[in-house]
Amino acid sequence: MKSANESSIRHLIPPEFLEPNWRFWSFVLITVLGTALLFMYRVPVYDGLTDPFYTPTILILPLVALFRVTCYAYRKDYHRHLFNHPNNCASDVRLDSKKRGYSGETGFFRVENVHRYFMYTAWGVLPFFYYDVYHSITYSGALTLSLGTIILAVNAIAVTIYTFSCHSVRHLIGGHKDCVNCPVSKNRKNSLYRFQSRLNGHHEAIAWTSLIMFVFVDLFIRGMVSGVIPNILLIHGRF
Amino acid sequence: METVRLSVYRHDPSVEREGKYVDYDVPKEEGMVVLDAMKYIEKHIDPNISLRWNCSAGKCGSCSAEINHRPALMCKTRVDSLKEGKITVSPIAAYPLIKDVVTDVSENWALLKRIPKFTPKEGLEKPWKMSQVDIERSKEFKKCIECFLCQNVCHVIREHDTDYFGPRHVVKAASLDMHPLDALDRSEFMNRDAGLGYCNITKCCTEVCPEEIHITDNAIIPEKERAVNAQYDPLAMLIRSRRNRSGRK
Repeated sequence: MKSANESSIRHLIPPEFLEPNWRFWSFVLITVLGTALLFMYRVPVYDGLTDPFYTPTILILPLVALFRVTCYAYRKDYHRHLFNHPNNCASDVRLDSKKRGYSGETGFFRVENVHRYFMYTAWGVLPFFYYDVYHSITYSGALTLSLGTIILAVNAIAVTIYTFSCHSVRHLIGGHKDCVNCPVSKNRKNSLYRFQSRLNGHHEAIAWTSLIMFVFVDLFIRGMVSGVIPNILLIHGRF
Repeated sequence: METVRLSVYRHDPSVEREGKYVDYDVPKEEGMVVLDAMKYIEKHIDPNISLRWNCSAGKCGSCSAEINHRPALMCKTRVDSLKEGKITVSPIAAYPLIKDVVTDVSENWALLKRIPKFTPKEGLEKPWKMSQVDIERSKEFKKCIECFLCQNVCHVIREHDTDYFGPRHVVKAASLDMHPLDALDRSEFMNRDAGLGYCNITKCCTEVCPEEIHITDNAIIPEKERAVNAQYDPLAMLIRSRRNRSGRK
């Protein structure tokens, strides 16, 4: 048996980063390339529609990315499918072994414990998504409702649900309390915590829906800018 | 008569160095579970086979095994729910083998004893009263039947040499921590001494739990979040120390 402190010093560089693992390294390559392309080919505001990657500025992308990277839902996915720790629960296809090094969240990945601080950052970014919806409606001086507006609104709602279904929010709004109704006569129902817990049960599905939606909106606006996709105008009129 | 073929791991460590899979053909019956087939082998084919079972109803946690390489209770796995072909039955590999599909899980009792026990808050009026809303979370964990399938499937226990107690023990700590009348916070102990940081949230424990306890979402992650309060979040640590100073819990 090893003590946690001993392991944390030895595994400051996670053993997963030193393995010739095509899954992990191809993911790193795709992420670096994707990020470089986002910086190189910026999307202007078009028809009042702002690309979600550039709101309020692409410079906050690393903070938002860290919120996702340290999210409990994505942790499961990349520890399983990128690091193979383990890839599958069945014993014959785990791709994990006693020979492989492992430090879990005790060494480098201890950083995941500050997920809640990245969550606070994400809260700060949320209003910008709603401002973008408002801007897409009012940018021309007249009331404009287009397909792009609806897509931006759905994206804003998806990001909001993702952010507030987070496990750290669950902890913050009641998970940390052992007793909400002590003494018993207080008759508190803990309704918000229970509602959020139901939402939190679907956090992984919400996380992926929101991420895919994000990329879809980006591609949609890029398609419009390049003239491939038309922005269908639904309502246009004076205030 | 239709039969089902079972490939059972046979190994007696007291006489053999290595084990082997032995095939048995068992008459198939409607609604048959893997434990029924194993009991048939013991009664009619090879009385020397060792298996552990008790209630046959998924409530005692004795018949844990790996069926087709997935941890499961033999009494809750219907033969017709498995894909056609041979059914592989092997012991849970995270623990020392006693014989055939029987393992020694007694190290768990020692770990359970190390978790600080229930400590009631001071000054509670008797009889103790708790409301439904406050016992819900803790009650879910009481469903645990100690089959140790979660321990077996956890890669930290199975494949890596660490000081992590394992999911069953986090569930135990969480059930005490979330008890409305308990005074202690075990998250710091779990993180510092019980290796909670080794868990990487891969949720295999939740997948295999026969009692469908949401081990990761309801026990491990809340314990991790409490450990963050105690050890990593400067703001939470400050609030906690001020509350402790003013005597509030």
